[in-house]
Amino acid sequence: MITRVAPASWRGALAGLVLCFPVLAWAQEVPVRFGKLDAQEAAQLLARPAPDSAAAEVICDFGQSTIKGGQDGFELRFERTARLLIRRRPGYEHATVRVVLYHDPKNGSREQIQQLKGITYNLTGKELSKDLLRTEAVFSRKLNDRLDEYAFTLPNVREGSILEFTYAIRSPFLFNLQDWQFQQAIPVRWSEYRVQIPSFYRYKEMTRSYWPFAVNTSGAAQYTTTYREKTQDSYGATNASSTDKAYQISTQALTRRWVQQDIPAFRPEPFLTTEHDYLSRVDFELERIQFDPNRDPQFVVSSWAQIEKELLEKEEFGQYLQQNSPLASAAAALRSIPDPAARAAAARQLVLQAVGYSGSASLYARATPKRVLETRQGNAAEINLLLVRLLREAGLEAQPLLLSTRNHGRIQTELPVLSQFNYVAAHVRLPGNQELVLDATDPTLPPELLPENCLNDQGRLLGSAGRWVALAPSAPNLRYTHARLTLEATGTLQGTVRQEYAGYAASEHRQPVAALRQQWQQAHPDWQIEKAEVVATDLTRPVALTLAARLPGAEATAATLYVRPTAQLGLPANPFRHPDRLYPVDMASPQRLEYMVELTLPEGYAATELPAAATLALPNEGGRFVFSVSQPTAQTLAITSRLHLAKTHYSAEEYQALRELYARALAKMAEPIVVQRQ
Amino acid sequence: MRTYLFPFVAGCAAWLSVAAGPARAAYGPAPKYAVAALPGALRENAHAVVRRHEETLLVKSVSRTVETVRRAVTVLDEAGARWATELVYYSQLNSISYFRGSVYDAEGRLLRQLRPADIHDISLSDGFSLASDARGRVADLSQPSYPYTVEFEYEVVSDNPLFYSTWRPQPVEQLSVEQASFRVLMPTGLALRYQELHLPAGAAQARHTQGSQEVYEWQVHDLAAREEEPDGPSVADVTPAVLTAPTQFEVEGHAGQLSSWADLSRWTYELNAGRDALPPALQARMAALVQGETDERARIRKVYEFLQTTTRYVSIQLGLGGWQTFPAASVAANGYGDCKALTNYCKALLGAAGITAHAALVRAGSDEQDIRTDFPSSQFNHVVLCVPLVKSARPDTVWLECTSQSNPFGYMGGFTGNRHALLLLPQGGRLIATPRYGATENRRERLADVYLDAQGNATATLRTLRTGLEYDAVATLPSLDLPEQKKHISSRLPLPNFTLTKVALRPTPPGAAVPGLTESLSLTLPALAPPSGKRVFLTPNLLSRLSAPAASVGERQTDLWLDHALTQTDTVRLHVPASLRPEQLPAPVQLSTQFGTYSSQLQTLPDGTIQYIRRLQLPRTRFARTDYPAYLEFRRKISAADKAQLVLLKTDA
Repeated sequence: MITRVAPASWRGALAGLVLCFPVLAWAQEVPVRFGKLDAQEAAQLLARPAPDSAAAEVICDFGQSTIKGGQDGFELRFERTARLLIRRRPGYEHATVRVVLYHDPKNGSREQIQQLKGITYNLTGKELSKDLLRTEAVFSRKLNDRLDEYAFTLPNVREGSILEFTYAIRSPFLFNLQDWQFQQAIPVRWSEYRVQIPSFYRYKEMTRSYWPFAVNTSGAAQYTTTYREKTQDSYGATNASSTDKAYQISTQALTRRWVQQDIPAFRPEPFLTTEHDYLSRVDFELERIQFDPNRDPQFVVSSWAQIEKELLEKEEFGQYLQQNSPLASAAAALRSIPDPAARAAAARQLVLQAVGYSGSASLYARATPKRVLETRQGNAAEINLLLVRLLREAGLEAQPLLLSTRNHGRIQTELPVLSQFNYVAAHVRLPGNQELVLDATDPTLPPELLPENCLNDQGRLLGSAGRWVALAPSAPNLRYTHARLTLEATGTLQGTVRQEYAGYAASEHRQPVAALRQQWQQAHPDWQIEKAEVVATDLTRPVALTLAARLPGAEATAATLYVRPTAQLGLPANPFRHPDRLYPVDMASPQRLEYMVELTLPEGYAATELPAAATLALPNEGGRFVFSVSQPTAQTLAITSRLHLAKTHYSAEEYQALRELYARALAKMAEPIVVQRQ
Repeated sequence: MRTYLFPFVAGCAAWLSVAAGPARAAYGPAPKYAVAALPGALRENAHAVVRRHEETLLVKSVSRTVETVRRAVTVLDEAGARWATELVYYSQLNSISYFRGSVYDAEGRLLRQLRPADIHDISLSDGFSLASDARGRVADLSQPSYPYTVEFEYEVVSDNPLFYSTWRPQPVEQLSVEQASFRVLMPTGLALRYQELHLPAGAAQARHTQGSQEVYEWQVHDLAAREEEPDGPSVADVTPAVLTAPTQFEVEGHAGQLSSWADLSRWTYELNAGRDALPPALQARMAALVQGETDERARIRKVYEFLQTTTRYVSIQLGLGGWQTFPAASVAANGYGDCKALTNYCKALLGAAGITAHAALVRAGSDEQDIRTDFPSSQFNHVVLCVPLVKSARPDTVWLECTSQSNPFGYMGGFTGNRHALLLLPQGGRLIATPRYGATENRRERLADVYLDAQGNATATLRTLRTGLEYDAVATLPSLDLPEQKKHISSRLPLPNFTLTKVALRPTPPGAAVPGLTESLSLTLPALAPPSGKRVFLTPNLLSRLSAPAASVGERQTDLWLDHALTQTDTVRLHVPASLRPEQLPAPVQLSTQFGTYSSQLQTLPDGTIQYIRRLQLPRTRFARTDYPAYLEFRRKISAADKAQLVLLKTDA
């Protein structure tokens, strides 16, 4: 969030711009006009086939934003007009529209929704009926301290209804230039956004899209607006009788126009970071305010240095970092630990013990360090900025590391824009060009592992050595099953199963033995567990669940037995179920699935057929499957199976190979060993 | 309280002897809820322990109640941390007078108290409602290390005394209770109605008078943590509870009696009476719609179809609007309404067509238990329409769900079927049963043709008919677009490796006793049965393997509730290459028990096709807990039979 510029600072600067120019309208014809649908056009819209048999579609969604002079300042004006077609009943939900508005809880200024209108058109024969949205069907509710939701629903919606709605938002918050999302959960025929920004404001744009833009143009236009301010009497006071003074301002404006056409419905796929990273959209961040080109800008956010400076001045970041905490002396005492990495881990442990994570990712501390330690609860910034501070008290070179969690979305590193981040971790520089990234929100992780949600490409390091730091996973998600089983002549398998969870898999499984036993039992309903034990509660070691277990076979003995030890110990379903893939696969950590089974055959039986060994590999070292069965003695078999996905990102083109690797590996592991009575 | 004073004090004393030392200050509040004082039996199997739960319902008058709750819970581990958060509900008719909280460390020393800034005000709108006044205040006192104790106190003043409190000190599993009490204070002349459930001996205290109030009181103590068991009642159904209800009440000027179901029916009827006027044009349209149609069901169906094509469900829950319908004229104008409004509107439409219908209150939800029929009180959350057939030879009823645009005519399904509903009648209605859906209605019939090639790859076609409650799970499939249909079906098929190539869905034509959907799929199944040496292995039961319930630790505690009745029939035809012939066919299995019947059988047809037929029928029944081992045995045998494997031998090898 960027603080508003005080009006007094630009009032003088504006004087040089007060000139008169004729007002120029938008050059371009608008793609949709509210209330102008006729029966013929409606019939044409209804006659077109629905893309992908969708239940509803957006015919046109059109938005415009500009900046206008207002009372004592400038404001953003946003207008939106949309036309939708409801084809089938499941599409009715799109007749309800929700608009979220921001307000400042401190000074009471708020965004306002205006000129809200809606129409439902129903075509019966050649007759087009119109039902208007009634104001009693508009409801507001408070979402939180800063946000309210306005919801409205259109009347008399049926299959074949065409809906239109339009509204405007006036916003005094110039940082909040409305973003635009082109793609939606239903197909969109035409989505257009236009922005006109007078030269004294500048915004950074972030566009992302997997679909091409039909139009993506910039232009220049003459811009004129009027703003008013109260005149002051000779005592410097304003009063009811004083008249407003109006200024007309003219300058050049930047115009931007984006159009996307015939965009299919957005369908989430498994292994995505957040929908936000894949939906076609454009976002904005206020970059500069400069009323007089000959003077310094009133406001600039354009470099990392600037961002850092501002963050460090902020009460909720830099000042929080400066404040003393009651843990300072305990942290200073850690200086006696000679190994810096061990010392850093000890500082992290101090925070973990003192403060629990509230679950809310945040770049800003909302409470003081003292209060955080009193409540023993904190958001990510409260916890990790405290950690930075304690690392420094412990004599280490620590800096905050800004990052965006996976469900917040990917960073665009070329844009020095603060709203890209939603999380802060701690960075420690160690002697010999080594570094550590620490986080104290998750006590189930060892110090060297960041929470999986933080593994999102890169983070931005603050301080004099500001730069990007790679956030690669430093451990895989490893599930390792080691079983020593005896096969009986009935087909019963019996023995010990050691189920290990290492790396990120360990963190999910740091649970009491009863819970782990229950999970395993649920995943392996046919096994009977006689005993369960968990060793190692030490975070540096894997979680190992050791079971004495039995898989009952038939009641009678059989001359021929077919055993599939790996499959019987539980194979996952192919995680890449769907044959098609549009977006890249993005996983937080590399996946590893390993089995090692030592099988003792029943007395008087011998293995007559063994599955052939196999090795499969993905191109470019992307992953590998290795399977083998060996026979160390006549009476024993050793089965080894390892499935590794080495990368965390696979392109949509690589998807087929990835799916195939899994499919063939699963089939291989399910192949039986034939054991026959001799 | 008298009874528990002793162990409580003894507990504190024990703590003092352990922890007293020079480090402890001699001033400050006395420690509370020390964890060391907890009896071991209460820690066993528990993630949290209710140390003290005091709930009071003060009935000020027929139109106002005050509910006061103080609850202290020791959180033993992370899984118990949900108890560190408290949410207090309010709305237009319920206001919070205070909400306080404190948290104590393991020794019982006060760590901190809630500040107003720590309490967040949130909207409790369900996300699909257009408008709802449901809001809550929420506070989180969770701590980074365990154990610790939280204590919350709050008071809610309600101007909606249709609902009195339900006291349920042990609502979920893995929660034990040290002590809990419930007091109801009634003004003189106003009687309390209550129902006690699963109370241990001595829980109910002697009723007494205190000033001008009649005091009712219950206490329980030392309730060990329970474990939820498969195919059984939920913990809330077997632990102590006291339900209470008014005999007289008044909501926003609407006074009512409540001593019988008839009373509640009459009051609700009157609250909603006179809201069924339709515009004359619409009345005429309804009359015209059914003109010439003599069949009673067909007349009702026409009106219901009109409702489904011209309205939609939009939830608006504000104040008394939670109980009182919008007028029918408003639905006629807007084409939308909530369950009350749409039911009232449909009733009015039927009326205009000359058909009498009654609204009926129901507790809807596929996971909801039936209401307690022996305790008349407001236990409902939904309303449906009940249309008695007057021309039918024997008593018959059509039930209409008015909030869905796709619900089959006359079908209640898992949402409102198999339970009781309260008819709303001016003279006071009674409870009647909604349609029953048993093993005959809930069918899944599948025919699979699997074509295996010599390399072990296969293609398959599957045709599956689902009816009744089995249909419920797929009811929304036809409304999805094709890519979504594929996605839904793929994520449901229990196959390790396949690609779905074709999907076709065909609903059973209207008129059947219960609705159904036939799903036809084509699949490719790479490496379904790769040859291993000279053999090929295949489990003919491709899709219907039923695994046994997980073995429980220790003796079964609760009765066996087999509420989901069904009949499954599977036919799988395996078409194998001529180079393969079966080496051994698994023996047929036939099980017939009081829990249900099962059979599976494999045979080779003259053309070489191998045919597998499986049939499973489970009726809706309940058994004593002692029958559980026999049931488990039945399920284990099914599980074993379902996994039986077919071995094919290569004749050319």
